[in-house]
Order: sequence, then structure tokens, then C-alpha cells
Amino acid sequence: MGLMDRIRDAFGRPPAKEVAKKRLQLILKYDRAGLPPNAVEAVKEAILKALEEFPFIDTSGVNIHITESENTKGKIEIEVPVRNG
Amino acid sequence: MADKVICVTSGKGGVGKSTVTANVATALAMKGYKVVAIDADIGLRNLDLVLGLENRIVYDIVHVVEGVVPPEKALVKDKRTKNLYLLPAAQTKDKSAVKPEDLVKIVEELRDKFDFIFIDSPAGIEEGFKTAVTPADTIIVVANPEMASIRDADRVVGLCEAMQKPEPKLVINRLDPKKVARGDMLDVEDVLQVLSLDLLGVVPEDRNMVSYINRGEPAVLFEDSIAGKELRNIAERLLGKEIPIPKWTYSESFLDKLKKLFGSE
Repeated sequence: MGLMDRIRDAFGRPPAKEVAKKRLQLILKYDRAGLPPNAVEAVKEAILKALEEFPFIDTSGVNIHITESENTKGKIEIEVPVRNG
Repeated sequence: MADKVICVTSGKGGVGKSTVTANVATALAMKGYKVVAIDADIGLRNLDLVLGLENRIVYDIVHVVEGVVPPEKALVKDKRTKNLYLLPAAQTKDKSAVKPEDLVKIVEELRDKFDFIFIDSPAGIEEGFKTAVTPADTIIVVANPEMASIRDADRVVGLCEAMQKPEPKLVINRLDPKKVARGDMLDVEDVLQVLSLDLLGVVPEDRNMVSYINRGEPAVLFEDSIAGKELRNIAERLLGKEIPIPKWTYSESFLDKLKKLFGSE
């Protein structure tokens, strides 16, 4: 690490170990679910496309994430909010 | 004893499986237990080097599998520690020379004659790994506080679960307290948050380790080795003793921070 890096660290760049921990937590989520890292994005895109034709769905509020599952390797949960009014 | 057959594995290579196996086995033998360490890394034998026994090998595990000699005839008696024996791997054959059922049979034949049977697993998650894990009733996963090693350790944990084995216990090896203090290296808590396993021990980086290995002398033989002390504690914990695990964190002094800023050690 050069002096500039150290100065940057002293002014609040997160320590390397924090970066490593965050990266690992994300990687392991996908590894454990047996999914490639872009899986969630790809599924989200396809779902959004399919939902476009329903005016009562608020596509901007669609939420998608991986969770652990008892019976399968992993589970992708999708929240689809209905538009107000 | 429930923890009689212990497999030491890791996924990633070079994290210290053989070192942990040789040292913990030696530490238990020093306490008077009768211990055998089986090198299951067929084709890439190494455990003999860590124990300094490479010149005493006559037969190896493949000779046993082929029925050339019974397991006891292939055992190499350790030259320093009474009660410690090595069953060497073959150097010329490949992993397929020993099948899971072969190792199960060897372990069964040795079971009544020993207090502890260690199996030093090959790196990887293929058939050699599965062979090494199959006879074990306790699994130790060795990981360095480093991204690739932790990711691989997590894979191993998943595979052990799929094989319906008990959840592995974790040994964190080569933790460098200086790098931890600088915030460069994952600390013990970070690793546990990511892996959520039972922690069996933390072995700090020890600059003398390379010379212990070069001389074929396990670190646990040396009172003043910092890694040796923690490796002895791992042996004690396997015996059921509750010894607190040091977390190897210290807060930096102002001087340390200054040094860090200007790049000197």
C-alpha cells in the first residue's frame, strides 16, 4: 500500500477486511443457493417484463431476494406490490 | 470416544491441513494417547515431511488396499513422539487407488488399537475428499482468514451436510494479528459471522513455522512456539477441555497508526 492509499484509509475508506466480509457474505449467499451471481438480476428483469401489462401492479416496488430454504438449496422470494388507488 | 476418527479437510489447498494434522496428532500422542495419522492425499504425499518421517517409509496405504500388507505393518513409528504412528499415502498412484470403502475398512481395522485416528484429506472436493471424509465421525475444516479459503471452506461444509456428516468444526490458521489490527485481514468474529461454525481454535501466523516444517519437527514440540501453543490447545479441546480461544485483536497505539500512515511495519 502506498502513502496515498494510507491517507485515503485514514479519511474513512472502509478497511479491507470490511470489504472482504461484505463480498464474502454476498458470494456465499449465491454459492449456497447454487445460483450464478447475476441470477437475481436476470430473474428480476424477466419478471418485470411479464408484469408490465398489469396496470394494477407497481413495478417500481418489486422486490426480489435470495433466502434460505428448508427443502431446496435456496429460494428466490419476489414481492409484487399492488398499486394504491 | 465420539471424536475418535477425525478428518482434517479444507477445500482449498495450502491452508495448513497437514500442519494441523501433524501437530494436533503429535500433541495428543505427547499426552499419552495412542494416535495414528493417515495421509489420504494419494499421489501428493506430504504428512511424512511435516513429521520428518519420509526416510522411514517402506509400505504405504495403497499396499494396504492391495492386500500386500495388513494396515499395522504399513505404519511408520514416529521418531520423536511415543504412541504416534503414520500411515503414509502412496506417492506414485492417484486418488482412485483408495476408495471410500477401502478407507472405511482400514479405519475399522485400526479403530480398537488407537485412541485417535486422524485422516489428512487431499485438497479439493472430488473423490479424494469424499474418501477422506467417509470414515470420520468428526470433521475439522481448516481455513485461512482469506476470501478464497473461506469460500472453499463453506463449500466443504455444504458437502459434509449433503453426506449427512456432523457439522465440521473450524480451525482458523495463519491469522496475522498485525494485519487484523490494521483492518487489512478478516478477524475471528468476521470469519465466524460468515461461516457460522463451532470454532475449535485459532492458530496465529508464526514466522518459525517454515523452519519447523523444513526440519520435520512439529511446532507443538516447542514450548516457545506461538502457533505450537494454540495447536496444543486444539488437542486439549478435542479432549473436552474448555480453554478460551484468544481472538488475537489488539487496539493500535497512536504510534502504530502513525507508522501505518507512513508505510513502515
